[in-house]
Amino acid sequence: MDKKSINLLLRYSITPLLLCLLVSCGPGEKRLYKETRASMYTIVEITVSSDSQQKAKTAIDNAFGELERLAKLLNFYAEDSEISAVNRSAGNKPVRVSPETMEIIEKALYVSENTGGAFDITVGPLVRLWDFQKKIIPDRAIVKEKLKLVGYKHIVIDKEASTVFLKTKGIQIDLGGIIKGFAADKAVEILKQQGIKAGIVAIAGDIKTFGIRPDGGLWKVGIQNPRQQTDKDEITATIAMTDMAISTSGDYERYFIIDGKRYHHILNPKTGYPADECRSVSIIAKDGSITDPFSTGIFILGAEKGIKLLEEMGIDGIIVDKNGKIHTTPNLRGKLEIIGDSQRQKKTN
Amino acid sequence: MRLSGIRRGKKKLTDGMTLADRLLLAALVIISVSGLIFIKEAFPQGTDVRIEVNGKLAYKLPLNNNAIIAVKGIDGDTVVEIKNRKVRITESPCPNKICIHNGWIDRGAIACLPNRVTVFVDSSEGKENKAIDAITG
Repeated sequence: MDKKSINLLLRYSITPLLLCLLVSCGPGEKRLYKETRASMYTIVEITVSSDSQQKAKTAIDNAFGELERLAKLLNFYAEDSEISAVNRSAGNKPVRVSPETMEIIEKALYVSENTGGAFDITVGPLVRLWDFQKKIIPDRAIVKEKLKLVGYKHIVIDKEASTVFLKTKGIQIDLGGIIKGFAADKAVEILKQQGIKAGIVAIAGDIKTFGIRPDGGLWKVGIQNPRQQTDKDEITATIAMTDMAISTSGDYERYFIIDGKRYHHILNPKTGYPADECRSVSIIAKDGSITDPFSTGIFILGAEKGIKLLEEMGIDGIIVDKNGKIHTTPNLRGKLEIIGDSQRQKKTN
Repeated sequence: MRLSGIRRGKKKLTDGMTLADRLLLAALVIISVSGLIFIKEAFPQGTDVRIEVNGKLAYKLPLNNNAIIAVKGIDGDTVVEIKNRKVRITESPCPNKICIHNGWIDRGAIACLPNRVTVFVDSSEGKENKAIDAITG
């Protein structure tokens, strides 16, 4: 868990876990219920609109339960996860997996295909060469060697047999770039099954909205300013939405700066080094399993190619490029309220 | 008194003026003053930047936050810059670049007619609720 997540958790842990936000006081009228917990190695906040506190609590508990189940199944770091089993058998044999594992890998491969490999779930070994705390840039020769073990085309799925096979020994699947968006979709499904008609699931910056707020309005989501300096300029833009997901990838999450150059965690799978065309990319689409990986893929492709691809695919996006210029897909016109200062340069240390 | 001294002076302002001259002078003064008031009222110093493409609202941004945004018009991107409570167009695919030469404005509008992009500086009426339900980033 990164420092920011820990700070967030501390901030929320001193407040009652279940916050009842009073929207109206009449009996039987809907209110917002919100709960924040550490889950999926980050901070998760679930908000539901309900006329019953008990109903809200049960639904939220079940949604968190689903997140825990998925984390266990898909966690790269847990030895008993299905993903670890697939990775251990790389170059050896196909591994039978559950429908959820098959589904998420299939979705990841779909995004890889559509971004020309800019998003790739086999990039994990490259990412682990970097240490963003100790400011370690890996040796160029080692990066070159590890690049041989990156490539989504090494993944073979057999839907009929429900198996996943990694063709080359040493290839590893790490679902970190898609799991949060995917899990947000699944948590919303659980909330709906529990009779909840409206709410938000926010797994760190991967957010899925559904239904209408008790006050009749849409959910308002803020997009973080990639060069935030004070509490007052945290947000670059806001957008009102419902029944849509939004995810953001930014160069400000895990990074260090050496000689004025920013090294961050979003690596180009083709070079092994950080992609430097954008500061942040936010993607808006129906499903979190689309917005989460596309935000990474488009970040790597850059503003020009990114907007073009998003338009072709009918997906919406907001890109703050390396110079701080904001680009959006045409469909977002009139829907986006830009309020932050994307131009300020964060002071380098 | 000094004022009465002026009135008694040889070069009285209205000396030699006909009634028509006086009416014309009064009319000019009224038009000038009301013109100033009209400009102030019609284009009050703005708080919001409204960008339209083909007459339809594309983006709305506050004037007090610096930003650069690429606005896709019919021929390409018109780049709008907001800085220090002023706004200008810095890049445009249009042939004459009149919109760029227009420079900074803090009220009124700049239009790039060939690319169908218009930038207005408005004063906002009734700010909407800024409460945010979640933050992505």
